[in-house]
Amino acid sequence: MIDFGLAQLFMALTGVVVGVIFGALPGMTATMAIAVFLPLTYAYDLSTSLYLLLGLYVGGISGGLIPAILVNIPGTPSSICTGFDGYPMAKRGEGSRALRIGITASLIGGLFSLAALALFTPPLAKLAIKFSSVEKFLIILFALSVIAALSKGNMVTGVFAGFLGVLVALIGQFADNNKLRMVPDFLKVDLRNGFQLLPVLIGLFAIVQILQEAETGMKEEKINTDISHATKKFSFKDLKGQGVNLIRSAITGTFVGILPGVGGSAASLLSYSQAKNFSKHPEKFGTGCVDGLVASEAANNGLTGGALIPLLSLGIPGDSTTAVLVGAFMLQGIQVGPLFITNNIGLWYNILFALLVANVIMFIVMFYPIKYIARVINLPKHRIYPIIILLCVVGSYSANNGNMFDVWATLFFGLLGYLFFKIKLPIVPFLIGFILGDDLEKYFVDSIKGSGGSLVNFFTRPMAWVIWVLILVSVAWALYDDRRSKKRERQIKKQQEGKQ
Amino acid sequence: MFTVSYKPSTSHWIFPPIIMWILAILFTIMMALRLVRCRKAGTPFFGFLRNRFFVQHWDKARLVGTVVLFILYILFMDIIGFLAASIVFVFFYNVLYAGIGQLREIPTALKSGAPLHNAAFRSIVVSLVVSIVFSTAIWFLFGQVFKITLP
Repeated sequence: MIDFGLAQLFMALTGVVVGVIFGALPGMTATMAIAVFLPLTYAYDLSTSLYLLLGLYVGGISGGLIPAILVNIPGTPSSICTGFDGYPMAKRGEGSRALRIGITASLIGGLFSLAALALFTPPLAKLAIKFSSVEKFLIILFALSVIAALSKGNMVTGVFAGFLGVLVALIGQFADNNKLRMVPDFLKVDLRNGFQLLPVLIGLFAIVQILQEAETGMKEEKINTDISHATKKFSFKDLKGQGVNLIRSAITGTFVGILPGVGGSAASLLSYSQAKNFSKHPEKFGTGCVDGLVASEAANNGLTGGALIPLLSLGIPGDSTTAVLVGAFMLQGIQVGPLFITNNIGLWYNILFALLVANVIMFIVMFYPIKYIARVINLPKHRIYPIIILLCVVGSYSANNGNMFDVWATLFFGLLGYLFFKIKLPIVPFLIGFILGDDLEKYFVDSIKGSGGSLVNFFTRPMAWVIWVLILVSVAWALYDDRRSKKRERQIKKQQEGKQ
Repeated sequence: MFTVSYKPSTSHWIFPPIIMWILAILFTIMMALRLVRCRKAGTPFFGFLRNRFFVQHWDKARLVGTVVLFILYILFMDIIGFLAASIVFVFFYNVLYAGIGQLREIPTALKSGAPLHNAAFRSIVVSLVVSIVFSTAIWFLFGQVFKITLP
């Protein structure tokens, strides 16, 4: 049932190594790595490809700790708090110890989230199988409301970006009556099936990043990565007394991963602040305290399995990286959602095993040769970005069996994403809206078809009431949190003005 | 009020207007919130027009060059094929990102008789090697080994 051989091992190893490189280079992310390498899935069956993609995912998230600890610049947003304590440790000459503590915490977080994925996805999918189109529509609406709840201080903007993504997803032919909408005459052929996911992903996550780096001049600094002179060496005893912290942070990361649209930075921040709140010595946080480092790293790897739970049970991606994984499934013609496990039981076991293999390989690849792996952060970006552009072109061209329009679409979405970044319109809600847009429309139209056009249908089923309550709670929380964030911002502003 | 007229022939236009309305309402809310914020702070509503779009001292050559080269790359792929266009444009991107000022060093380096002792010239040679090696490797791996459709 589980496909595992040399080819799969090689794919997982390649994925982890490339992922670590992407994660370690500030500005490059696991999402970008998966988007760029997605075309390779054409060459293999999905189960083999998943070893590569999950390797990229785990490696990409884990690699971020290297620059966070060595130079206090998080390689990925998910290692935002890693440097708070990792960097002071490195300055004390405990760089390799901090890196190894972080890598071990990452492994434990990753394995915990894998267990959560295996335990919670099947029952959630079983429940979701009973959903009619009404509940399916409301679940997507709930996902969009969660995006709003978590767009701190920018609730309306987050929702706006999400619905804009939905609107863009509707461009093209409607499957029920095969009629086109929102397509200019000269693009009738190219946009018949709307924008393909891959060019949108590559544009939003690779081209935008390259444009941002180009704007700032692609500055690079030679960083000292020499960690050979250690004042204190790593020992597994360093993790003694960290059991509760590890489990709590892994749970936090997994939970944050389940919520759609929330990035790894939230997982890292939340578990770090929890570890500080529960600590007997909170004053030591930020001075090179092992607890803070463990909390951040266990949480961000805890996110990996967590983000796959809503994807594989409900078809809703938990974060931007799993949104890219949707592309891999789509390319192979496999629908993610409630029926995924029932219809693809072999693939399901392969995903679990691939995630396990990716975590173990990540540990082996990073833990033992850490002295050499640390040098990755000095790879010259001005040599890497041109190759990424080349891969972007290959990826977007092959998205639809060779169509130059998709390469133009990649550039278009790259420029659009760059504009979004400038006007502070969040990209992740836009992408999630884009991915869920088609289903949102399908379930809405199916619901009103079944009820003869009546919207009352959305309020009559008991399960629908439960989801409505969830939506209302998330909107109420969004409003409360939005006000609280703005109030806090105003207070900080006033304090700063007072100081001046 | 709680019904939507459903006709199969026009069903493709049921959902998009709903989303457009939601977007219009959200946009109005965003603008109203901005108006309130500006009134409270005493700042002009259209003050953002005076904000800097690009970062201070933005790198015009690299940013504009990235977009222009991308457009030319797409156009040239149709004319000279994927491999040749990739070698040429990956080289251009390498030179652009490493610093186009290096090009000015070429005559000096060549005149010196030992051009490879010149750092800028060496960087250009590296750019050439990178573009040939990686473009060919990707063309071979994706196009020949994995049989993925290439431009």
